Amino acid sequence: MRISKGALLVVLAFTVPLIVELRTVLVWVNIDLSVLESAALGLVIVGLVVVWAFLPEREDDRQERDDDQTDGDVPNGN
Amino acid sequence: MAKPTEVRTMSEAGSTYIDAFPAEAKVVRAAFYSSFLALAIGGLFGVVQTLHRTDVYRFMDSADYYTVLTAHGVLLAITFTIFFLVGVFTWAITTSLDRGVEDIRFTWAWYGLMVLGTALVAIPIFAGFTDSIDMSASVLFTFYAPLQAHPLFYLGLVLFVVGTWLAGVDWFRSWLAWKAENPDERIPLPTFMVLTTTLMWYIATLGVAIAILAFLLPWSLGLIDSVNPLLTRTLFWFFGHPVVYFWLMPAYMMWYIMLPKVSGGKLFSDPLARVVFVLFLILSVPTGIHHQYLDPGIAEGFKFIAMTNTMFLLLPSLLTAFTVVASMEHGARQRGGEGYFGWLKALPWRDPVFTGMALAGLMFAAAGFSGMINAGMNINYLVHNTFWVVGHFHLTVGTAVALTFMAVTYWFLPQVTGRALWNRSVALVQVVLWFVGMTFMSNAMHRAGLLGVPRRTAEPQYDGFEFEAAVGSVGELNAQIALGGILLTLSLALFFANVVGTAFNGKSDSLPANGYAETLSGSEDAPLVLDNLKLWTAIAVVLVIFAYTFPILSIVDRGGLFGPDVNPFPVSLDTLPVLGLVLEQYVTTALATAGELTGSIVTEVTP
Repeated sequence: MRISKGALLVVLAFTVPLIVELRTVLVWVNIDLSVLESAALGLVIVGLVVVWAFLPEREDDRQERDDDQTDGDVPNGN
Repeated sequence: MAKPTEVRTMSEAGSTYIDAFPAEAKVVRAAFYSSFLALAIGGLFGVVQTLHRTDVYRFMDSADYYTVLTAHGVLLAITFTIFFLVGVFTWAITTSLDRGVEDIRFTWAWYGLMVLGTALVAIPIFAGFTDSIDMSASVLFTFYAPLQAHPLFYLGLVLFVVGTWLAGVDWFRSWLAWKAENPDERIPLPTFMVLTTTLMWYIATLGVAIAILAFLLPWSLGLIDSVNPLLTRTLFWFFGHPVVYFWLMPAYMMWYIMLPKVSGGKLFSDPLARVVFVLFLILSVPTGIHHQYLDPGIAEGFKFIAMTNTMFLLLPSLLTAFTVVASMEHGARQRGGEGYFGWLKALPWRDPVFTGMALAGLMFAAAGFSGMINAGMNINYLVHNTFWVVGHFHLTVGTAVALTFMAVTYWFLPQVTGRALWNRSVALVQVVLWFVGMTFMSNAMHRAGLLGVPRRTAEPQYDGFEFEAAVGSVGELNAQIALGGILLTLSLALFFANVVGTAFNGKSDSLPANGYAETLSGSEDAPLVLDNLKLWTAIAVVLVIFAYTFPILSIVDRGGLFGPDVNPFPVSLDTLPVLGLVLEQYVTTALATAGELTGSIVTEVTP
């Protein structure tokens, strides 16, 4: 995985406001989407994010990921 | 850069809070549980309102909506937040001064007074659901006259606030005792934050104390016949805006002293944090009139002054954004994060304490932008009293504060119970679900407000009129609001599952030590004048006098201290026959006049 599952959850959460307001933004450039089309586009975006997240990680990212495994209640965190 | 300051807490001993301060931990725990009870009931009422307003599911009479709304507002905006923050402040004082409270009986006494006050407030509110008890307090969180509550409601509010005053006395006692033993030491940062917030609270609550004790309570008891609604509203907002900072400053405290710690780093700047809290002390109160831009009877000039003061409040918020993000970046780089944005990946996103606070901070940025719209006199007219405002404060108190409090609960609960958190994964899903639910609900509320959909209305659906959306439809916005409300309720259910699960967990010997973040630039870099609390309090008082003396004198001059005759609402059964007689008299007179008029017209047109 490119990012941790926790980070993926947060990235997916961040996409929610973007998907919700994408329709409004597109109207500014005269592109009218129906609710169904917006939902479909949202699913595509979510799918792309998930596929990207599950791609095999690059070697230089592996170290970062290993560090992330130790996060949490690290006393004083320092 | 100065050398890092020493760790000043129990973490050196490696003990949890309950190990170091067992008696105080019980009070903090009791305060948290009281807070959570209010959150549970208030949250339940939240989803009931959401479904009712949007007409997705209505099972109660619309008249009861306002009782539900009152309970929702009071229980969440006052009880949940303040019980939680008195717990956090007691933790902060004892931890940072490294000493217990001076007299634990006194501490229990103010907690007990707050509980008593809450009970007295709740009784008339809940009695409003039944006709068999002759009392009610469906006056909403703002209790504007001529809405009148049962005297118990006002009395309970007074006792609750007095309880918080005594809590402040408790914290000041601890600090003064510590100061006597450490005369040359700087005030530890968490204690500094508690003291400045408490001073602000003392000034702010003077407004609501006068409003209740001098006017609303005697009025509800029948001791005086009338009140001046504009005066009591103004006194309410004297308190009503700074109470926002009473909720926010504990959240800020957590962002300053806990978020860097859980990020794996240190607070970027202790002096900047002190400046921020001083600015909140002096600027929080003289801004309340910005809630009254549409109130007739207050001159535009006074409103302009309030707007200017409010805009200055953006400064400490922007300083906070800079300091907190810099601290998070420092933590991420300590964990191996690199690049302009690559460090974001190194943050501990699997930790619900971190993720919850980070998402709360992000939502607060959005709240700041919508807050600027509210604070601008001209553009406020567009959104005043619309659903936009509800969307705004669900981002501030409903997310920046509530989500931060829930996130840090996952750190505090083990500290005050000695038990490991029941389930960290559930906690992570809970904070993310809150973010998603609030995104749906608050965003749609803002947009509905722009269409003119009003707030404080059980049924914003009108015959012969429809709100028109530029994009999509009102129905879609309602669906988003209902969906958001349901997701928030699910999030609350997960939160309480964790609270209850933790309470029944076994005792753990492997909990992290109590403590808070170290600093990169410590108190030794902060000018000494920042610790001069008397100076900042004096400046705060002078600013309040400047902002409020002339508006209040003007209001009293125009409307009188006790106002014109104002009929209280709800109208009691005793007064209905009188009103009926008056109405009958008016109708009889009107019919007689119409008859005479018709007669004269007929006479004139008849040849």
